[in-house]
Amino acid sequence: MGLVLDLYRPGRSWLHRLDPRVKLWGVALGLILAFLLPSAAAQALLLLAVLLLLRSNGIKWDALRWLWRQIRFLFLLILCLQPFFTSAGETLFALGPLRLTLGGATHALGLALRVLSMSFITGGFLFTTEQRQLVRAFVRLGFPYPWGLTLSLTLRFLPAISSLFGTVREAQAARGWVAEGNIFRRAREYLPVLIAVTIGALRMGDQLTLALAARGLGTAAERTTWRDIEMRPADWRALVGMSAAFLVVAAVNAG
Amino acid sequence: MDKKTISVEQLTFAYPPLVVGGTPEPLFHGLELTVAAGQSLAVVGRSGSGKSTLTHILAGLAPRYTGGELTGEVRIGGRDLAAEPPAPTAVGVLFQDAATQLFTSAVEDEVAWGLEALGTAPTEIGPVVMDALRKFGLLEVSKRPPWALSGGQQKRLALASLWALRPRVWLLDEPLGGLDPAGRVEVLAALTQLRQEGVTQLFTTARVTRGSWEDSAALLTGGALTAPATWDSLHAQHARLVAAGLLCPAASWARLERSARAPGSRLALEARHLRYAYPDGPAVLHGLDLRIPQGQFVAVIGPNGAGKSTLIRHFNGLLRPTSGSLQVMERKSRGLSVGELARQVGFLFQRPEQQLFATTVREELAYGVRQLRLSNVEKRVERSLARFGLSEIAGRPPAILSYGSQRAVTLAALAALETPILVLDEPTVGLDGRGWAQLLEWVAERRAAGTTIIVVTHELALAARADRVLALRAGRIAADGPPDAVLSQFVGEE
Repeated sequence: MGLVLDLYRPGRSWLHRLDPRVKLWGVALGLILAFLLPSAAAQALLLLAVLLLLRSNGIKWDALRWLWRQIRFLFLLILCLQPFFTSAGETLFALGPLRLTLGGATHALGLALRVLSMSFITGGFLFTTEQRQLVRAFVRLGFPYPWGLTLSLTLRFLPAISSLFGTVREAQAARGWVAEGNIFRRAREYLPVLIAVTIGALRMGDQLTLALAARGLGTAAERTTWRDIEMRPADWRALVGMSAAFLVVAAVNAG
Repeated sequence: MDKKTISVEQLTFAYPPLVVGGTPEPLFHGLELTVAAGQSLAVVGRSGSGKSTLTHILAGLAPRYTGGELTGEVRIGGRDLAAEPPAPTAVGVLFQDAATQLFTSAVEDEVAWGLEALGTAPTEIGPVVMDALRKFGLLEVSKRPPWALSGGQQKRLALASLWALRPRVWLLDEPLGGLDPAGRVEVLAALTQLRQEGVTQLFTTARVTRGSWEDSAALLTGGALTAPATWDSLHAQHARLVAAGLLCPAASWARLERSARAPGSRLALEARHLRYAYPDGPAVLHGLDLRIPQGQFVAVIGPNGAGKSTLIRHFNGLLRPTSGSLQVMERKSRGLSVGELARQVGFLFQRPEQQLFATTVREELAYGVRQLRLSNVEKRVERSLARFGLSEIAGRPPAILSYGSQRAVTLAALAALETPILVLDEPTVGLDGRGWAQLLEWVAERRAAGTTIIVVTHELALAARADRVLALRAGRIAADGPPDAVLSQFVGEE
């Protein structure tokens, strides 16, 4: 499977319809909360709340499973290695210098769940937000249009370059190309692929320049927007609700 | 707009040299061109003749964004392009590779983008977008990302995006190039519809086959255009078209036919109940049984999604059967690496020029030979350079060669491996007459030498010259036998 950057899952749910700026605010609060919550149990509750929110807004298990597959390695790595770097409380297991403690294991679980929560918070935003809306959100937040366009083009062309990478790698493999050995040797062996991909990407960039110019980028007219984003009363209510919930949880946590 | 909507006088153009200190090589020498309002002209030229550059100049993109030196006068609707580029409402340009001109994440946004750039009132954009999508048959895919569309749909989307701006002049660079038969039919219908609206069109092509919408055609050869003529009179100049590299000479076809020989008694490839499903996807091949004797020339045909490319990617180990087995030169492929299989199976990918990376043509040819640890590296490389007429440019970087030369380099790199089996995936896409001739003659040589050849193709003329045609449909063998028998069944479908 190639690089997937368009994670959007079409839908008409409350979360889908929410103004992307409010969703960005929600993501920021969620990420801060993930950092603030100290215990594994609190992290598990946050994760559960995020998953319930996504499921109740029509995000299917398939999408959630896909995201889990992307991060499960990191999750398991933290879960397995972190306990040996933190020692606290009762020793559960010892082998030479390695010591697994209850405190270390709980800390690792909390850390791994934090990574999981943060991934699903960000993933949930991308699952429910069209790229066009994402770009509009940045532009309406004050970023210049060329920045938004650059983000959009990156999201559009990275999969194309990833696909080119796959094609070239297969073509070179059919000529006996292999990448094996230590990291330096592998890096050198990747040159036939990387050079060909770079040439292809530069050509793509040239074509894109011409295509943008031919369609009127940089013309004197002031750019308009079809279906611009607007804050509705429901968006304001969500903004206030999210902020209030955050303050309550943060206050309880501090108390 | 002026009666002479497109007017070019005494045009010369040269790109900046690709190497430091190099001399610019002029592409056009006093080119003259006139297209009256509402007329349609086909510019016919072989690869590298300057067709794309001509459309870029007429669209005001070259030399403005490409660099290069231009002399002469280019006018669209009476306006001199040297003074200012034409507005997107005056000139619309369809690029050869439509995928590169689609840059948003949804089909409807793509159509809206140009209107937004021109400052169209938001309330007016919606109806125009819907009209354009309806006109080009894209309503059902309006929410999909452009990169998920078929080649034909991508070209239609690019046309819809241009149509939304209502340009009076359309520049279409190989609008039917690189498309499968179904895609060609789709785009041809869209172009015919455009023609009926009476817009001015200039389109380029490397194929001398008449479309149903153009009024006349002119040859682009030697940096100049011939006087526009009817297609019938153009066709009558067969020898000239062959000399210009636009038509494949009959002798090349005859050589391919004469190269036929009886296949050997041993098997080159044998698949038993071969089934394949992509990870997390449905099955693409459903238990194929297939025996290809050594020395046989097999054409694999079938509609898009039939499983043709999936099948042949098993032959060199890029894919492994989900179940069932495959033997290559009477050895089980399961235990063999891609590299080991590459010693037996030479593989030409679609758009093979994408794999070129070396600093010289000679190095490019030597790469595979060295990687596979084959003997006589130098002899193989020199033989292959000479065979494809590349000796003179053996020291040049392949990336800066013309498209036609790059295709020759990819064939030469494959030929240098001298494998007993050749697998060619859509090898004729993007070839002009000269490229066809080069390919056919090489295939004829290999066939006469007893190489097993498997070609995936939509070109029925090529399939008709094979020993055997294998037709796939929905991952199953729908027909398998001599060309006459199989093709008569499949002509309508393909």
